[in-house]
Formats: sequence, structure tokens, C-alpha cells
Amino acid sequence: MTTARSSRARTGRLLAALVGSLLLATAAGAKEDLDARVREIAAGLRCPVCQNLSVTESPSEMAREMRALIADQLAAGNSPDEIRAYFVSKYGEWILLSPTARGFGLLLWVLPGLGAVMGLGGAAWVLRRWARRGAAPPAPVDAAALARVRALVHEAPSALPPEGARLVEGLRELEFDHRAGALSAHDYEELRTLYETRAALALASLTEPPRGAPAEGATEAPRAERAPGAPAFRAWRWVAAALFLVGFGSAIGFFLPQAVRLRDGGSITGGFLTGTGNAALPVESRDLPALLEQGRRAMDAQDLGRALRLFQRALEVDPEHPAARAYLGLILLRGGHPDRALTEFDRALSREPKSAQALWGKGLVLSETPGKTGEAIRTWEALLAQDLSREDRDHVGSVLARARQRLEQEAKPAQKVSR
Amino acid sequence: MRPWARLLIVFGVVTPLVGFLAYGFTRDPREIPSPLIGRPAPPFTLPLMDGGEMKLEDLRGKVVFLNFWASWCPPCRAEARLLEASWRRHRGEDVVFLGINMQDREEPARAFLREFDITYSNGIDAGNRIAIDYGIWGIPETFFIDRNGRISYKHIGALDAEIIHAKLEEARQGVVSRREGKGDYRSIQ
Repeated sequence: MTTARSSRARTGRLLAALVGSLLLATAAGAKEDLDARVREIAAGLRCPVCQNLSVTESPSEMAREMRALIADQLAAGNSPDEIRAYFVSKYGEWILLSPTARGFGLLLWVLPGLGAVMGLGGAAWVLRRWARRGAAPPAPVDAAALARVRALVHEAPSALPPEGARLVEGLRELEFDHRAGALSAHDYEELRTLYETRAALALASLTEPPRGAPAEGATEAPRAERAPGAPAFRAWRWVAAALFLVGFGSAIGFFLPQAVRLRDGGSITGGFLTGTGNAALPVESRDLPALLEQGRRAMDAQDLGRALRLFQRALEVDPEHPAARAYLGLILLRGGHPDRALTEFDRALSREPKSAQALWGKGLVLSETPGKTGEAIRTWEALLAQDLSREDRDHVGSVLARARQRLEQEAKPAQKVSR
Repeated sequence: MRPWARLLIVFGVVTPLVGFLAYGFTRDPREIPSPLIGRPAPPFTLPLMDGGEMKLEDLRGKVVFLNFWASWCPPCRAEARLLEASWRRHRGEDVVFLGINMQDREEPARAFLREFDITYSNGIDAGNRIAIDYGIWGIPETFFIDRNGRISYKHIGALDAEIIHAKLEEARQGVVSRREGKGDYRSIQ
């Protein structure tokens, strides 16, 4: 009895384990299936925070959340098309890695095929033209020379110069091929004329004095025919090409630097491609002008952390350096500390009342402080009295004009501001 | 074919191509134009950092200023004081300012709110679900929602005071902007 019961219990346990593992397996299978479906949808979506990575490939947090969202929506019973439509409704068609074949997107689908067809068609057309030009009626040759060539073909091999022998051999093979039916009558005629002419020319050049007078030179004939008018046209073409190249180069030289932001050190790649690296000054340097210059560059490159370290170092060297103080203030202002920025600007101005950076920054702080617009305007007016580049002057001028406008509106609070 | 005709064809093909490439250089490849402007704002329920929660539907009839931010983002810091000042100026009117913190940790986010003495409501968007719903790709990103719950304007990057006041006024009148605005922004992760 006991053994029977224990064996039954064992079978029960075994069954339970079997069912359990089966359930686990199906669950794991379902999970894998879901993962594959998520990956498939995510592979068609562009990650919004990367450059040209799909949501499947991107390691970013945003892409991870998007994958989780896709999984949730699949689990909720939404179809892949509905999920794609959801993302399109949020980010626009931009989010799709392959654009839909509608409207402007259709152009993207059609253009490459069209380009390929046009390119192949153009290439075929050009090739046909070349082939026809190659098969153009050959230059007239001596009938006697032709007859000699024909005789040679049917004769036993004789002492011929290498080129002549090769052509005669070619003619023999041609005839053989034609008889064997490997060549059409038309092709045979065309090729035979070509070979015979060449062979006749080779023979003629043999019989004539090698570097004789060009009076009756059959070889010179085709070249002489093309001569009239050609040099003038070619010169014109060269001039046009040169003009185009100069124009193209100037356009690139003008637009590229405007479109590409230079990095620290003045190189577009920051020395990354050339391996020279940016000759970054160690922050421990005591070279004040170099520290300021590098700090300015770091600010231009939006590297505020490095700029801050460089200007702080400059202030360790000279605690009251007005430009370094003013730049420190500008960084603090960017970081959202206008009050601390203002003290820096005031300190810079106490040492150098005409510091352009300090005047500019102080104006900025004051213009954002309610009720101080008038003071900001006076500060900027003082700045305009300094020696500024035309670009800076225009910028300050436009900001000043806006501030004056705002002051007028603040003076008449009854009138509603609307733009 | 005449040589001038051939030249004309080459120029006709090359010039548009070069022009197209040059135009490409002037574009910001990160920029994603939002399809949401003029559409109903996606609804959400945001758990607030000082307790409770905020449902967007409950704000119907008011103009909503919705700002996505993170404590690590310098342009968010740069505009924070200004946002608070604008809120204090408009708080008596039918305007609600709402901050949504994303891709951040709670401690630095709270420190940020303390530092800039922010008094309008803020909540944390765990899992970025609200952010994806609004098509966020950089921060700060700000949405102006009119009284009917429609997005009237979107601004990517730091705002300035004039734009805030002008766009709040437009949202109040139900005017939808044709274009989104752009300032200094940071790409999210």
C-alpha cells in the first residue's frame, strides 16, 4: 500500500513538474515571439535622439522606452500598423526609416530607379555611338594594297612584320568562323573590311619610307580630317570647365564654413581625422593670454565646463583680470545664476569700466530683471560707445531696440502686449 | 549633339544637385518637425512631486504652459528663473504652468526646483511615456495648450520672456502658430 501510494505521489510530482516546465517553455516561447515582433517594428522606426540608428539598434534610454512601449501595445492587442501610426502621429513621417510611398515620399522611392534607368540608358546610348563611330567607313586605301592583303590571306604564311602577320591571322580566323556559322554575314563583312583596311595600311607603311614626307600618307588622312575647327572648340570647353571649377570651389569655400561650426582649435574635426588632436592648453598653464584665448574658444564650442576651468585658472593667476571676470560672469549667466553673474560683471567693471563683455553681460542680467530695463538700456548704450566689430554693433543695436520697445510697453501697462 | 547643348545638360543636372547638397548643410539633422501643433494635446495623468496628481483633462478651459525639463540640461537651467518669473506674473489669470521632469533622478530634480525657487507644479515622467506622447527629442521643450485643449505653439530650446507672454496671449485667444520656435537645446539620451 505504502509503496503504491508513494509511487502514485511520485507520478503526481513528475506530472506537475512536466506540466510546469511545459508552461514555462511556452511562456518563454511567447516571450521570445514578442521580442521578435518588437524588434521587427522597432527596426522600421528611426531613433529620435540618434543619428541614423533604428530603435532596435539604438542603446539610448529613449529607444529603450520606445521598445517597452511597443511591447506594451502589442500585449494590449494593437497591430504593428497601428503602433507605427501612433509613432507617426507623434513624430511625423520622420520616424519611419523607409518613407511611405505617398506625396514627397514617393519621389524618394521613384528617383533612384529613375536615375538608374536614365544612367543605364545614357550609357547604352553613348556606347552605341562609340561603337558606330569605331565601325565608321574606314579611310580609303589603295585597291592594290587591299588585293595584296586578300591574296596574303589565302597564301601560305610568308615573312610579314608582326602586326601584319597578326591581322592576316585574324582575317583567316574570321573567315573560318564565318564558314562555321559563328558569325552573321553582316558582322563578317564589317569586321573583314576593318581588318583588311588595317592590314593594307600596315603594308603601305611598310613599303613607304618609314618617316617620309606626309604627302600621300594614308595613315595621316583620318587625323587631318578632324583638324579644322577642333582647337577653337576645345579651348572654349576648357575655359568653361575651368570657370565652373572656380565657381564651384568658391561656392563650397563660402558656404561650407558658414554651415559647419568650427570646433576648438579651428579645425572642423578637431584634429580627429588627422590625429593631431587639439593642441589643448593644460589648465595648469600660467600663460594668461593663452588661457583667455582657449577659454573663449571653449565657450564658442559650447564647452562651458572647460571654459569655466580655464577662466578660473586665469583668475588664479590674476584675481582681478577684467576679461576673465566678465567671461566667468557670462558662464554663470548661462548656467542660470544671474545674481552671481552680476557681481562678477560689477567686479570686472570696477577694474575696467569699458570692458565690452562685462557691459554686455550686465545689460543681459538687468534686462531680465523686472523693472531694470532702463538700467539695461543705459549699460548697452555705454557698450555701443566702445570700439566694437560691425557684427557685434548690429547685434547690440537690435537687442537695444527691442529693450526700448519693451520699456515703452512697460510704461503703458494698460495696453495689452500682443504680437 | 551640339557641345553647348551637352554643357547645358551637365549644368542643368549638376547645379540642382549641388544646390540640394548645399541646402542640406544648412539644416539641423536632429530637428524633427512636430505634427502636433494645432492638434489636441495628448491626455496624461502626471504624479506631482509634492503629492497628488494632475490630469490634463481637468485643466480644460485654462491655458496650459507645459515644459519638459531635466536638471542636467544647461538651457533648462538658463530659462528656469524666467519661467518662474513668468508664472508669478500670470498666476492670477486662467493660466497653469506645469513642469514635466524627464530622464533625471529625483534628488537632483528636487534640488533644481529648490535652487530656482520654482512654485508651479512639477511631476516626474517615469518611463518617458508622456515625453513620447508629445514627440520629445530634445529639452527643454515647451507646449502651449489653449483653453480647448489644443496645442497652439511648440518651442524647442530655451525661451525668452517676450515669446512666453506673446504665445500665452495667443493661446488665450485660440491662435495657433504656424511654425514652432527654436532656441538653445540639448539632445536627450
